[in-house]
Amino acid sequence: MSAPGIVVAGLRKRYGATLALDGMSFTVRPGVVTGFVGPNGAGKSTTMRVILGLDAVDEGTALIEGKPYHSLRHPLSHVGSLLDAAALHPSRSARNHLLWLAHSQGLAARRVDQVIEQVGLTSAARRKAGGYSLGMRQRLGIAAALLGDPPVIMLDEPFNGMDPDGIIWMRGFLRSLAAQGRAVLVSSHLMSEVQDTAAHLVVAGRGKAIADAGVADLIAAASGGRVALRTTAGAHAMRVLAHAGATVAATGRDTITVSGLPADRIVMLLSESAVPFSEVSAHRATLEDVYQELTREAVEFRAATPTEVPR
Amino acid sequence: MRPALHAEWTKLRTVAGPLWLLLGMIAATVALSAGATSVVTCTSADCGGDVTRLSLTGVQLGQAMVAILAVLVISGEYSSGMIRTTLTAMPHRATAFAAKAITLTGVVAVAGTTAVLGSLLAGRLILHRHGFTAAPGHPALSLSDGPTLRATAGSILYLTLIALLSLGIAAIVRDSATSIGIILGLLYLLPILSQVIGNPHGQRLLQQIGPMSAGLAIQATTNLHSLPLSPWAGLGVTAGWAAATLVAGGLLLRVRDA
Repeated sequence: MSAPGIVVAGLRKRYGATLALDGMSFTVRPGVVTGFVGPNGAGKSTTMRVILGLDAVDEGTALIEGKPYHSLRHPLSHVGSLLDAAALHPSRSARNHLLWLAHSQGLAARRVDQVIEQVGLTSAARRKAGGYSLGMRQRLGIAAALLGDPPVIMLDEPFNGMDPDGIIWMRGFLRSLAAQGRAVLVSSHLMSEVQDTAAHLVVAGRGKAIADAGVADLIAAASGGRVALRTTAGAHAMRVLAHAGATVAATGRDTITVSGLPADRIVMLLSESAVPFSEVSAHRATLEDVYQELTREAVEFRAATPTEVPR
Repeated sequence: MRPALHAEWTKLRTVAGPLWLLLGMIAATVALSAGATSVVTCTSADCGGDVTRLSLTGVQLGQAMVAILAVLVISGEYSSGMIRTTLTAMPHRATAFAAKAITLTGVVAVAGTTAVLGSLLAGRLILHRHGFTAAPGHPALSLSDGPTLRATAGSILYLTLIALLSLGIAAIVRDSATSIGIILGLLYLLPILSQVIGNPHGQRLLQQIGPMSAGLAIQATTNLHSLPLSPWAGLGVTAGWAAATLVAGGLLLRVRDA
């Protein structure tokens, strides 16, 4: 499979006065889980609806293995998707829900039983889906996404409503799908949900991708060569290091973050000035830090009223 | 097209609602028809009246349940959000919509045939007991009678056209309650409105354009010249309504975001 799973290029869409998508572009490659994160309203769900041909865009293209969605003959064998786990008829059984989907793709009922087993719903398959918990509906939605054994999988907030066991199951499941060589796109408004699963991240904010990079690269960039220092003589240490040209900030009662100086030079300076310290370590940003940093502007923008905010 | 039809058929048969609505439609149609024929008696020769039409009265009630079923076929999916699943599985929207229309037509035609033939049979039995016998000049209702056959087949067609008209309106409006309100208004309010209008020209015009008042002309077997429209022209008006709403609904389904 050489054509990338999903290629989104320059999507632009306006709903009345709001610009939902403002040049959204990214690529989802096979073999890894790509996390699609961003605050609510950043355009994640709209982008997914556009990829599936449900919403039309004013500009831009979204291609599945090089083709627009509506040109796919049996689309579920190209992309499996889960947008809204509640979108089903409450009095139809889970198995029958999957059955009509299978029939729409010319698939046999045997395939339905396979995916039901894969997501662990066999014992509940003949119950009405309306009685399912949200976590069970998510599993049913995943089963629907797997129905056509597609090379591309796209899930919108699949962790919503899942209990801790379900979340662990989902993470392992997503990783195994990627390990099978599929392109997997998973959206979430919580970074913590995707941080152990995704190897690649697309961070959305205000209708565009504000970052599209590997998780390791993002963390390295956010760490930015900073050094964490633990000392009981904080004020003294800050004076010494600032004098040597470093940027210093107190980050806790006895911790200081230093940037602009390598760790060995900091140790030397503190020793020369007889400043006591107990720990010097390279600061390592968490994905949460990366996310906060990247989306700060987008969140502020949404929190503010359209008129000038008094400070 | 075949997978889409298979999918829509599976959807219809895997929930209880459609079956109950169709059974209810048959029961309501036959019951009202039987009720209408049981209140007339004939003691002399030449009782007059259109007994075929009378035995098919129940269609006026049965059509409401057909309309509700048709609305739910598409609006029900909008209210749950399942329409997105449907259009993701069948991105060719015209095909998806046509598959809905065809399966709906099929089940309504089968249930409609049962309901209409049941009404006719009930009418035949009841009328015979109420003095409409061959002796005073009232042969039993029979499909071998040309006008009765036309009224019967036309009533079945009428029910399927009401189903398609309702599907079209529901595709335009998308909300179940609003769609049902509009359809019932179109069917039942227009005839009432035409009664309260004083102007005979306006009255006649309303009867000619109302999907029910025009379409049910197909049930008339006597005094055809006094009808606002000839039977087939009347059914043609209903067909026009169905075609127009289906086309509008289909086009909107194609251009709107799901």
